[in-house]
This record gives sequence, structure tokens and C-alpha cells, in this order.
Amino acid sequence: MMEFDVIFGNAARAAFGPEAVILALAAIGLNVHFGYTGLLNFGQVGFMLLGAYGTSVSVATFGWSLWVGIPVGLALSAVLALALGIPTLRLQAVLFAIATIAAAEILRLIIGSTDAIELTGGPLSISFDASAFYDLNPYAEGPQVRYGAGTFAFTGQQLWVITVGWTLVALAGLAVFLIVRSPWGRVLKSIREDENAARSLGKNVFAYRMQALVIGGVIAGLAGVVDAIKTSGADPNGFRPQVTFFTYTALLLGGSATCTGPVLGAILFWFLREWIESFLRQLAAEAWLPQPISDSLSGSEGVISVGVVGLALIMLVLFRPQGIVGNRTEMLIDDG
Amino acid sequence: MTVDEYPDADAATVEEVEPILRVRSEPGVSKPDPILTVEGVRRTFGGLVAVDIDHLEVQRGVVTALIGPNGAGKTTLFNLLSGFERADRGRWAFAGRLVSGMSADRLARQGMVRTFQLTKSLARLPVIENMLLGAPDQMGERLRIAPFRSRWRDQERDNTERAGQLLEQFNLMHMRDELAGTLSGGQRKLLEVARALMAEPRLIMLDEPMAGVNPALAQSLMQHISLLAMSGVSVVFIEHDMNVVAGISDWVVVLAEGRVIAEGPPWNVIHNDLVIDAYLGRSGRPAESTGREESS
Amino acid sequence: MWRLMRRGTALLGFVLCVVFACVGPAAAQSDDGTKADKDADQDRADQDHNTAGDSDSTAQTTLEGTIRLGFDRYIAGVEITVTDQAGAEIGRTATGAEGRWSIAVPDAGTYLVTLDEETLPDDLGLREGQETTVETTVFAGMARAVVFAVGETPKATPFGERFAQRAFTGLKLGLIIAMSAVGLSLIYGTTGLVNFAHGELVTFGAVIAWYFNTSWGGLNLVVAAALGLVVCGALGAGLESGLFRPLQRRRLGVFQLVVITIGLSLLGRQAIQLFFGAEPRPYIDYQVQDRWEFGPWAVTPREVATVATTAVVLAVMATTLQLSRFGKATRAVADNTDLARVAGIDVNRVALIVWTIGAMLAGLGGIFMGLDADIDPYLGFQLLLLIFAGVELGGLGTAYGAVVGSVLIGFATEISTLWISPELKLVVPLAVLILVLLLRPQGLFGVRERVG
Repeated sequence: MMEFDVIFGNAARAAFGPEAVILALAAIGLNVHFGYTGLLNFGQVGFMLLGAYGTSVSVATFGWSLWVGIPVGLALSAVLALALGIPTLRLQAVLFAIATIAAAEILRLIIGSTDAIELTGGPLSISFDASAFYDLNPYAEGPQVRYGAGTFAFTGQQLWVITVGWTLVALAGLAVFLIVRSPWGRVLKSIREDENAARSLGKNVFAYRMQALVIGGVIAGLAGVVDAIKTSGADPNGFRPQVTFFTYTALLLGGSATCTGPVLGAILFWFLREWIESFLRQLAAEAWLPQPISDSLSGSEGVISVGVVGLALIMLVLFRPQGIVGNRTEMLIDDG
Repeated sequence: MTVDEYPDADAATVEEVEPILRVRSEPGVSKPDPILTVEGVRRTFGGLVAVDIDHLEVQRGVVTALIGPNGAGKTTLFNLLSGFERADRGRWAFAGRLVSGMSADRLARQGMVRTFQLTKSLARLPVIENMLLGAPDQMGERLRIAPFRSRWRDQERDNTERAGQLLEQFNLMHMRDELAGTLSGGQRKLLEVARALMAEPRLIMLDEPMAGVNPALAQSLMQHISLLAMSGVSVVFIEHDMNVVAGISDWVVVLAEGRVIAEGPPWNVIHNDLVIDAYLGRSGRPAESTGREESS
Repeated sequence: MWRLMRRGTALLGFVLCVVFACVGPAAAQSDDGTKADKDADQDRADQDHNTAGDSDSTAQTTLEGTIRLGFDRYIAGVEITVTDQAGAEIGRTATGAEGRWSIAVPDAGTYLVTLDEETLPDDLGLREGQETTVETTVFAGMARAVVFAVGETPKATPFGERFAQRAFTGLKLGLIIAMSAVGLSLIYGTTGLVNFAHGELVTFGAVIAWYFNTSWGGLNLVVAAALGLVVCGALGAGLESGLFRPLQRRRLGVFQLVVITIGLSLLGRQAIQLFFGAEPRPYIDYQVQDRWEFGPWAVTPREVATVATTAVVLAVMATTLQLSRFGKATRAVADNTDLARVAGIDVNRVALIVWTIGAMLAGLGGIFMGLDADIDPYLGFQLLLLIFAGVELGGLGTAYGAVVGSVLIGFATEISTLWISPELKLVVPLAVLILVLLLRPQGLFGVRERVG
């Protein structure tokens, strides 16, 4: 028997869990880069990597307080934006994309290498003591304490992470909303549409792009910080280029260049992904399924769901470029 | 058509225009009150000389037409002067200040605003937002001030009002809240000129503003250009249509193979033998193959 | 001057990132002072980290690790000893089949872990700067990983000989990259599409040949490869006529097309992983071979065949592009599509042929990659950034540039291992890529695009 309530509960838990928080923050940042400014940033995961490792290394290796580590992580993301943006912001879109994906990979390879073990834990990942954060947990905890119903339930500690996480998402979303509805945001959009037109109207395109890159990068860095706190550490394998592509999927799913799009997209992304995996897990256990099929299904749920992400990305671009909350006519306008 | 035939020209306007009429018709001649002075500007593309100008002055407060056969280097000259392309060498001064090598956005903020041959309307922004982008010195465009609406709301309201007036003048008011991408080609041209005017330019450089605009709109655009000069804005525009040139320009500069081969009042230049040669390619080399026309 | 400064700042930023990784050892020493605090926090940390569900299970406190070289060689039978700070032995073990070891310790605290260097295989030793004894702290109930950096012991081989050997490996890698890069570059040149799914074409070639070589008939690899290439070509032609041509007719922008190729890349990779599996697998033929000695080089016949075949294929491609009607048409389309169309060239047909050939070249590159190391679903994606580096170094859109750029990238990648650890060799092409984008975005042979 397929237990659809269990599947739904699992999916809902993923949709509101820490993974969705991390994705939502990364997508909010990417929305500033890509949605509003038109920067084809394919290295978003690099900012997350520095946010996570900046925090982890500060606490685990240098023994600093977590409250110092977090700003260090965010600062490193900002530094990456500057170091990356100064030479590459003038490149044409596709070259910028390649430069950013390469930069993020360089960081991952170096941080994850055996040579960096003393500092970052190298390929073995790093873990630190995040009790400074968990000590503030106001929710009661215990072996039996769960918040929620059925499979849609969290422990007190998880609930604390997601409470803080969604608060951060709301704050980041609000901050982005405030700056993009202003004349500053209008300049960003004009650069997205045609940088030379913006230039001819006296806008310093490079400076605006740089501001956008830093803001979006720091928000992605925040996503990395949440990731680090959630797992009390960081693992280089968690920061592969596909994380950036997942972020694009979430953003396009919700609707790029909209305020709620990245958040709704992230929630929906994790809901659908977990729904598919959970569904496949149950399907594999079904008795009526031929043995070879159920055999090949079990253990492949993750592989299939990521494949579905790829398919979704293609379908979104082709059939619903505006996402769930975007404006369709805006998307159908020719570039001219 | 001479300046006396301008329908609305009152005495004061003729006074203003008059000094240019006393200038001799020869390439590189000095003007009484130049807003733009160009000296020794040269640009080559892979051995081909696109622009090579010894000396050129643009008079303040008049309409100057820049004409020449395809590939004469007109757009390239625009690109160089407005900072969109780098000159190999040369200097130029705008309103008495040396601006060669200055970036395009700084030049625009100085009051030297240009439009493009292929319109660059910001398709996914509404017409009114396109206009508001042109407004200079909007405080809300600074990141530090942007989040605080009260700091830029008043300025925004004033700009919106001025944008509305310009849209009325350019017959675009009914499209105010439509996305610019939905405009017709001609309307986009008008929008681009109106947007450039929002920037309160001292010198406006229009790259083929009439191309693709229907005759009725073109007529109104020509009127606007004349009025602009009367209100003290200097205008330089690139044009192919000799009727348009003769109709609204006070001064014509002819480029061929990147050089200024003639300049003077329209009635003087249009019948100049050198100019006819340049257009018909009788100068020994076919004009078409001597340079490359810059397109967007 | 200003430009120079900008570049300078960028370099500085880049160097900063690298320094971040290198200050490790020095920084770690300043750690000692805070150790006491950490110990005091252990118990609390332990409680917090175990979620309610498993806090009652008595997790063992252990020290563990894996002895390996890079990511592909795991070393068994290495002896590890753990002693407490007083010097008393707590436990001793040898690494298992996958290089793993694990020793349980009674309590949280600081221990000394010693590796017996004598038990390492003859060709290996601890890397420079790596002590045989490591001091480490473990929290109660947790497993603490201890790392020993193992490297190929510097042999007595003279530098020149090692250089020559690396150069050959670099040439081989470069030619394999070039095979795939030519396709990517031609497709970009003729259709303006930057294909992020090109890596999956590489993987697809390797995998499909593997199936012909094993489960689908067990054909000899040469035959299997030939059949595989036919399938690759068909796939390329299918992608162009079934997907990309209709898309380009819809006038999708650069971004949309790039994102579609990324979606294809994810979809393709996952599909391959679903059927082929994630485990690396080798071809059946030509696996165990004796090396031939040529002066400073010791190479397998397999490697010689790889270099010779790729070189010949690339030479044939170059000649075709230069001399044949198709080659001239391709160059014309790459130069100016509209002009070519006006001149009567069937642009669609050129694009179709370019896609077919591009996919076949990528597939062949994949087969040679698979022959060199085993085949896994990530084989092509790992190569993708190297392909980009090669194409960009040579100049986007120029086929010759792509070949020269790729070979240079291959050399740089392999020769760098004379100085840096093999694990980090992939950083080199990526760094070259960024430097080229920074200093000469049009590449070595490209023409600077006009702006404005």
C-alpha cells in the first residue's frame, strides 16, 4: 500500500526544513545577480562555500567564537565577490558564467585538498562546536519530543534552526525588496536589459554590478553559514557546481526578478524533490512491481530526482519562463 | 530652407543662430562658441582607418548634422566621442573641459548624452520607468539611500511629472505604463530621444533618429529637434535623408573615409562637388569599401 | 595604467584565495591555547549534537582514517598505533582493503597517532612536512578522523626524465581535451551555442562503447568504439535537429539556451548514472600492458595508440576544415552566419554536420578517457571545465585555437604535478582559464570583439 500521507509529510518536512532555508537564501542572492542585474553567475556555490568554511574554520581551527565565525564567513563571501568581480564583470555573459563556475571549483578543490587539511579538514570535511547557537534554543527537547504531525515533524533543535533560518530568509527578502523597488533597483534592471543604454544615461554600470554581486554574494554566504550551523561543519562535496544549478532551478521555478519567487521556488523545489524520492522509495517496496524494476529503483531515488531537476529546468525555460509568480508578458518580450 | 523660414523663429532666436552663419564653409573651421572641440582623433580597425579627424568644432545651441556615405565613420566618431569606444589617439573637449578617454557614463553625467542607431529601449521596463532612468542625480540611485523611500520620494515625484510632460510632447503618454518592448519601432526611437532629454543634456547626439520612424512621427520629431536648439541644447545628429538635413540643421559636417571633407550651412554643403563625389564614389575608390560602418 | 591596476587588484584577490589554503600549518599551531576550553565543552557539545532519537545509544569514541593516494589508490596493510599522552599504547591496527583503519579509545581527550612508514608500499612515503606521529583531540562518542598525507616518494629519477614523462602524459590529456574542444568550439562558432552538456556527450561515448565492449556482445574495443561513435553521431544529429534547431527558431536568448544545456547535462548525467551505475568500470581490452621504453619515456602501447589516434583524427579534421567544401562552408558560417546564408550556404546542414562530428569527437575523447582511467558518470563533467579552458585559451570559436589551447592546458595540468600535489592539478587549468579571461578574453588566436 502506498502511504501518501507519509510521502506528503516527508515532502512537507523537506519543504520547510533547513535545506529549503539554505536554498531560499542562495536563490534570493542569485535573484539579485541574475534576476535583477542579469549577471549569469554560475559560481553561486562558491559564495556558499566561503560562508560555510569561513564560519567552520574560524571556530574549529582558530578556536574563535561562533559569533566571530559568522561575520568572517560573510566577509569572505564579500571578498570573493570583489576579487571575482573586479576582473570579470566586464566580460560578456557566457564568459562571466564560465569564469564564475571555474572560480567556485578552484575554491572547492583547494579547500578540499589534502594540502589544506590543517586548515579546513581537506577531503575529510570539518566539524565544529555550534553549541553557542544551540544553547539559545528555546524549544523543549527530549528523546520523545516532536513538533508537528506524522512524518511532518521536527525535533526541538531542528525547529530552532528553521525558526532562525526562515527569519533570516524573511529579513534577506525584505532587504532585497527595499532596495530593488528603489531607483537603485531600476538601474539594476536597466543594466540587465541593456548595459550600453544604462551607460548612455550616465549610470556607472561596473559599480552597480559590483554592488549587486557583493549583496547577492553575501546573502549566498549566509546560506553557507546556515548550512555550517545546521551540520556543525562543512564538507567540500556539498559544494559541487550542481548546487548552483539547483539554485537556478528554484529561482526559475518561483519566478526570477520577483520578491517572493526565490522563496516559493525553494520551498517547491524541496517539496517536489522529496515527494519524488519518497514516492519512489515506497514504489520500490511495492509487491506488485516486477523484481528487476523495484531493484533498480531502490537506492536510485536521489539519482532520479536530480535527473528530474534537469528536466524541470528545461521545461521551465521552454514553457513557463516566468515561474509561478512572474509576469508572463514580461518574459515574452523580444530582446530587440 | 534657410533659418528665416522657420515658422516660429522669433527675432531673439535668429540672433542666437546668426553667429554660425558668419562662419566660413571649410573643413575644420573654428566656430565662435564651440561646445565640442575635437583634435587629431584617429581610430583604425585592423589597418582600416575608420575615423581620422584633424580638427572639428561643434557650435553651441545649434543643430549640426553629420552626414556621409555608408562606412564614412559617423557612428564610430559618435562612439569615440561619447566614450563607448577607445580612440587610438586624439583629444576632445566638451564645454571647455578636456574629456578624451573619459568613460561613457561620466560623459553622460557631464551633459553629453547620446542615442543609438539601433534603439536600446529597456524592453522589460515600463515606458515611464525608462523615462525616470534618464533623470539625473536621483539620490535613490545610491545604494545607501535606496532603502529609505522618504529620502527619494519627492525627487521621484518631480521626475515623474517632468517625464509626463515629455511623454505628452512625444505623443507617448497613452503608453506610459506599457512595457517598452511593446512599442513600435518608431515609438521606441521617440522614447529614446525623450529619455535622453530627461537627462537634461547640454549636447545631445542622435544616431539616425528618423530611421524607421513613420513620416508623421518623423515630422514631429524634427520639430522637437528644432525646438531643442532654440531652448539652448546643442544637437548633433547623424542622418542619411538630405531633405531632413536641409530641413532642420543649421550646420552640416560631411564625413568620408573617416575625414571631414566639407562643412558649412546646408544650402552650401549639399551642392558641394566633393560631397557629391563622396556619395557617388567618384573619388577613385568606391566609398562602400573604405571603412566599416559601426552598427550597434 | 588604471587597467593595469585593476588587473593587479584582481590577481591579488586571486592570490589571497590561494594563501588562504597555504597558511594552514602555521595557523594550526596557534590552536593549542584554546584546547582546554574545547575539552571543557565536550560533554555539552556531545549532548547537543546527538538528536533526541539516538542520544541513548552508546556511541564509541574512536580515531579513524583512510590511507590513500589521491582519490584512486587506497593502501592496505599500513600499521597504525595510538598512544595516550603519557605514551601508553591504546591500540594498534593495520589498514583494511579500502585503506581504512579505526581504533577505539576509552575516553575523550588528546592522543598520539603513529603511522609505521616501513609498512607503506615501496613506491610510497609520507609527504614532505607530514610527521609520522600526529597529535589529535577527540570528543566523547564521536569519531575523529586522522589524516596522513601520503605521496609518491621522490624517486632518484632525474628532473629531466620526470619532466619528459609528465610532458607525454600532458600531451595525451591535451589531445583528449582537444578532441572534445574542437566540437564545442565548432558548435559555438556555427550556432552560437555554448554547450554545457558537452561533457555528457563525452561520458555517453565512453559508456556506450563500454556496453558494446561488455554486455552487448562483448565486441573488441576497437569495434565497440566504432559502433559507439556511430551512436554518438546520431545523438548529436538528433539533438541538433530535434532540439536546438527548433529552439533557435524560437529565438531564445543566450541565457535560456545555456540553461537548457545545463538541464540536459544534469538529465544526461543522472540517466547515465541510473543505467550504468556510479561505480567506476574499466573496458575489457587493453587493460594490462607492458610498458615500452623509449629513452626517458616508459609508455604503454595503449597510451601510444591514444596519442597517435587523436593526433591523426585532429589532423584529418584540420585538413577537412581547411580544404573541403564543407570546411569552407563551416568557416564561412562561423565568420558571419547571415552573409553565409545569403551566399547560398545551407546553414542548417552545416550545423547538423558540425553537431554530428562534434558529438563523435567528444565520444571518442570519452573512450580514450575511459581507456586511461575507468569510466564513471562524472567523467565528462570533470572534463568540461578543462574543455572550456582549452577553448577559451585558444580563442572561442576558432577550431585551431581550441586544439592548441587544449594541448597547452593538458601540458600545464600534468607538468604542474612536478611541483604541486596531483590532487590540486585540476586547479591549474581553471586558474589558467581565469587568467586568460582576465588578460586576453579573446584568447590566443581570437579577434577582440568590437563594442558599442
